[in-house]
Amino acid sequence: MKGFLGVDVGSVSTNIVVINENGEVLAEKYLRTNGRPIEVVQEGIHEVGRELNGEVEIASAGTTGSARFLASMIIGADVVKNEITAHAVAASAVVPGVRTIIEIGGQDSKIIILRDGVVTDFAMNTVCAAGTGSFLDQQASRLLIPIEEFGNYALKSKNPVRIAGRCAVFAESDMIHKQQLGYNIEDIIAGLCEALVRNYMNNVGKGKEILEPVIFQGGVAANAGLVQAFNKYLNTKVTVPPHFAVMGAIGAALLAKEAYAKKKGTNFKGFNLRDIKFVTNSFECKGCSNACEVVQFFQNGELLARWGDRCGKWELQTA
Amino acid sequence: MARVGIPHTLAYFLYYPFWKTFFEALGHQVVVSSPTTREILDLGVEETVNDACIPIKIYHGHVASLIDKVDYMFCPRLVSVRLHGDFGSETFCPKFLGLPDLIRLTFTKAPPIIDTRIDLKKGKKELESICVEVGSRLGNSSQESQAACKKARQVHRQYLALLRQGTMPPEAMEILLNGAKPASREFPPDGLSIAVVGYPYAIYDPYINVGLLNMLAREKIKIYTQDMLSDKILNREARELPKSMFWYFSNRAVYGGLYYMKKANIDGIIHVTAFACGPDAMVDRLLEIEARRHNKPYLSISIDEHTGESGVRTRIEAFVDMLRYRRDKA
Ligand code: SF4
Ligand code: SF4
Repeated sequence: MKGFLGVDVGSVSTNIVVINENGEVLAEKYLRTNGRPIEVVQEGIHEVGRELNGEVEIASAGTTGSARFLASMIIGADVVKNEITAHAVAASAVVPGVRTIIEIGGQDSKIIILRDGVVTDFAMNTVCAAGTGSFLDQQASRLLIPIEEFGNYALKSKNPVRIAGRCAVFAESDMIHKQQLGYNIEDIIAGLCEALVRNYMNNVGKGKEILEPVIFQGGVAANAGLVQAFNKYLNTKVTVPPHFAVMGAIGAALLAKEAYAKKKGTNFKGFNLRDIKFVTNSFECKGCSNACEVVQFFQNGELLARWGDRCGKWELQTA
Repeated sequence: MARVGIPHTLAYFLYYPFWKTFFEALGHQVVVSSPTTREILDLGVEETVNDACIPIKIYHGHVASLIDKVDYMFCPRLVSVRLHGDFGSETFCPKFLGLPDLIRLTFTKAPPIIDTRIDLKKGKKELESICVEVGSRLGNSSQESQAACKKARQVHRQYLALLRQGTMPPEAMEILLNGAKPASREFPPDGLSIAVVGYPYAIYDPYINVGLLNMLAREKIKIYTQDMLSDKILNREARELPKSMFWYFSNRAVYGGLYYMKKANIDGIIHVTAFACGPDAMVDRLLEIEARRHNKPYLSISIDEHTGESGVRTRIEAFVDMLRYRRDKA
């Protein structure tokens, strides 16, 4: 059977999927990047290969995410795409005609607006933590509640407490304050979810025209409390797709499939990536006072790529 | 002969050919700082009062890098370059107005600062008197300065003509001042055209905008900026707004953006905004609203000292993808 591989490497999570020719997911992995993208991708691909048990042959591969370039060097990708396009492609496949995509991951969040199947506007937040999954993680551990339970608590709330959500630091101190005033935990958690949604809408969603259908994806979409808070805020019912946590990777796989339709053949290095030795090192260029930190990428001792130079001086012409 | 230092930022991108020609015609040597580098940025961030916008910090960095190399620092007080009787009454933003003072206070060991006030609204002959004043500080006679001014004006006119033809400032300067050959660029017939608007010191400084124009050029996208438009065109746009927004460079970005929004051949608009710039908060919102009204894709890229290359690249790539899909659909 033919399969298409998609890999999404971000700073928090690394997601890997394989889809078949109908776009159905054959394998899916959601892993923590933990600052070791190379090992995580190698291991993840290996595991996916084992799960597929030799029954799937990768016809084409795509990467996305903030480390998409590095990932493409590791796996041998045929397509390298930014995460906005990848998410839009994946969401459009799940809900054709989707007009708004809310994506909240561990480290960043985005909004993508589509009309007639085409992206017409988008925004990304990579600066403020108050709108991302790591914020919820932190608060969950502060409250000693497993993050998986967060949503259920929120759903039990009858009367969410209003929590100042402008920024992560304020939200935290306001939450402590509300706890000390004796509000119950369900209402505080529901209040946190609402604060996060308000924050998201005021930052990322600022000035955007949000029309139905709305898709909510990214790791944070697992949280039923947030889904409810979005429904309430937007006065609609947001759709959480089945593979909400790995939509970027699905998008990369779909783009790989598209590329395959145009041009057969793949650069994919195979599932046995573990056997290849990848090393990166870096040096400070002394060519000018920019002092760029240039990264070199080696495969089995052979220099494959360099990046990080401002001027293109260290660029390698890779085939 | 004196060595006159010119920082490679702010007004540099529009007026360097004029002043270089002027000073050299008077027999002086012009020392320009290198294009912005990490070292210059770091120097600037270190030296400047904390609440300054990033372009002003960078300016300080350039001044710092020139201090030991020059006898005079050319840091005029730019008030207005609107000609006498011309439409519009705006001035440069307050930080430009106070720039010589900022520099003097920050760099106590700086060489003498040529802080001549440049306010062309004052009268028809104002530019000439400014030149005479600048020349006199360097020991040149009025006659010499007037002759040099005339020559500089000619060069400036040629420079503007090159910009109007679509040449980017760094290249136009190379052509004009160093006799470089214009590079020939090929654009695919179905390629995209994008208007990039913003302060010259934001859009033409590849260090601070992490090579944004280069990213577009690599995609073989045709780039337009407000500086390729004549004053006449920009002034026409000004009349469409109920009110002028006071600051010269901000207005140029707004008028340029408004002009390109109405052009069918422009696929999208990118506004490069400077972090901690007061005027930009308004400029960006205004452009965004107008772009929506004209149904023109709009992307705003904010730059600061920590701007990461990858964040900008992701946005640019996504924007370009979006424009391509849009075009394929049409
Ligand atoms: S890589 Fe290029 S820009 Fe960076 S320090 Fe070296 S010479 Fe300068
Ligand atoms: S216009 Fe904005 S960026 Fe430019 S100097 Fe003034 S405050 Fe700074």
